[in-house]
Amino acid sequence: MGSRFESGSLSARYGRQFVTLVLAATLVFLALPVVLTFVSSFAGEWVGALPSGFVTLENWNDVIVGTGVGADASVGSSLAYSAGLALAGVLINLIVGVPIAYAVARYEFWGRDWVNVFAILPLAPGIILGIAFLRTYPDLSTSGIALVIGYSLLKAPYMVMAVQSSFQSMDLQQIEESARSLGASWPRTFLTVIVPNAKAGIIAGSIISWTLAAAEFNFSYIVYSRGTPPLSIFLFNNITNASFLNAAAAVSVFFLLIALVTISLQIVGNRGAVRRL
Amino acid sequence: MSDVKLQNVTKRFDSTLAVDDVSLEIGDGEVLGIVGPSGCGKTTSLRLVAGFETATDGSILYDGEDVTHVPPENRNVGLVFQSYALFNNMTVLGNVTFGPKMQGVGKAERRERAQELLDLLDIGELADRDPQTLSGGQQRRVGLARALAIEPRILLLDEPMTGLDAKLKQTLRQELGDLLDELGVTTLYVTHDQEQAMSMCDRIAVMNEGVVEQVGTPSEVYESPENEFVANFVGTSNLLQGTIRDGRVDFGFTELDAEGLPERDDATIAVRPDDFTVGEGPITAEVQNLFYLGEKVQALATLDDGTELTLELDRHRDSVSVGDALALDIDATHLHVIRQ
Repeated sequence: MGSRFESGSLSARYGRQFVTLVLAATLVFLALPVVLTFVSSFAGEWVGALPSGFVTLENWNDVIVGTGVGADASVGSSLAYSAGLALAGVLINLIVGVPIAYAVARYEFWGRDWVNVFAILPLAPGIILGIAFLRTYPDLSTSGIALVIGYSLLKAPYMVMAVQSSFQSMDLQQIEESARSLGASWPRTFLTVIVPNAKAGIIAGSIISWTLAAAEFNFSYIVYSRGTPPLSIFLFNNITNASFLNAAAAVSVFFLLIALVTISLQIVGNRGAVRRL
Repeated sequence: MSDVKLQNVTKRFDSTLAVDDVSLEIGDGEVLGIVGPSGCGKTTSLRLVAGFETATDGSILYDGEDVTHVPPENRNVGLVFQSYALFNNMTVLGNVTFGPKMQGVGKAERRERAQELLDLLDIGELADRDPQTLSGGQQRRVGLARALAIEPRILLLDEPMTGLDAKLKQTLRQELGDLLDELGVTTLYVTHDQEQAMSMCDRIAVMNEGVVEQVGTPSEVYESPENEFVANFVGTSNLLQGTIRDGRVDFGFTELDAEGLPERDDATIAVRPDDFTVGEGPITAEVQNLFYLGEKVQALATLDDGTELTLELDRHRDSVSVGDALALDIDATHLHVIRQ
């Protein structure tokens, strides 16, 4: 038995190097398109295998100011619009998703498994939900309300799953009962003890559902009709109507935004991990 | 502090009878232990006292006041769980001041009270720490301080020592015992560990299948178990059949003087493993197995008629091997007749 793990065996000699190599190759494979896109957004042209004509801010200028061929609006307004819509979607998910995750993790009740299934399965792809929305609420498509509701519905599973795993990692019943025996009412227990204890999951769920909602294309493409386009539509217009380098700058703006949001939420999460008196 | 009474309390979950017509009284400042195997209804009884379950029948009184339908947050009970259940979003001090804050105690006063309790529990220097960075023993102390900070009418301890290593358990047992004596707080201590209960509690209630089998001081329950369940659950007992007549008990394999025991033809008599004298005596038993338990050695031996006996050996004096024939005697002064 032991001979398999002796120093002379293949896995003991090369196992670690092999795993490192596979990991590195996977990371490079995943990161390369992002890095290449970001780098090329500062290039003057891309003919052949690699971009050239560095460094220019022309592409960024086109995108930010809105003078690009494909854009009839600046990225700033689209970005702010999508960020706002996604934020509203996240707020709805927080208000609805956190209590659902709590109920499923904490209580045994009739239909619990079904609630769980409906909450964590993205039941309808964006395109189907979009068509259904258009047919059911045709008047809503001109406002952002349909987009907000759609984003929150489509991204709710990510919020519920992240928060639920936080709840499941703690002894929910005993924590709740301790707080109540100390004189806290149920709402107070929920808001001052339960929710703060699940902060890691709530922050993770918010980051995931916000970034996915801010970039949701299928639903936006079906439901959006006029006005400021959501970011995904804006990017699509850039990609289809403008040069790739123009689109690269537009995509890079979104990459930066995701990085910014993730880092700032993590800083907030770490700083407030334990409430000092 | 209060005296707490459970009067004919029954708790039913659908078709399961968890607590069946239980009546218990915990005197002011008394520590009452409820012991019993898993599913015997001890934790449900504690939850009924805390207010997390409502009795299907019967009532619960604090100082004569019926609290059966009072919600837990209005009962002023201190709860300590096996899992500590500390609030990890707050510091140690935040945990301990949480209860007084809910009671409306001013900031300065609740901080002072919390610090006093933490000092009393020897963890005063941990006030600003994150509970997650503490050891199991320290977390347990924080949980206790948090429960005591509200000056509870009754302190409820649900398996508070389970999961700790033996040494720490011993230390905490002594500390907790001293603390409860010092504070004089009415306490309900629920555990499956009868040794813990016997060492910590003024009285013990032994529960089985939702029913209280016996209530008494630890020595009463150990020395005079009322039925077979108690005799077997609290400590180890050899339950031997015998006939008691004319001041003598006849076990079949031996006869002893048994003054003071009630005359009976088919008595069940509890003999504790340490009531046997090993080395000399009229009884002969063959050793089937030996269990080295550290401080003592337990032997499983059989008599000629096949009766199995559990014996306690002196690990220094008795040099015994499996297969040996042991000469035994029974110390008749401790025999106890089980109620039929």
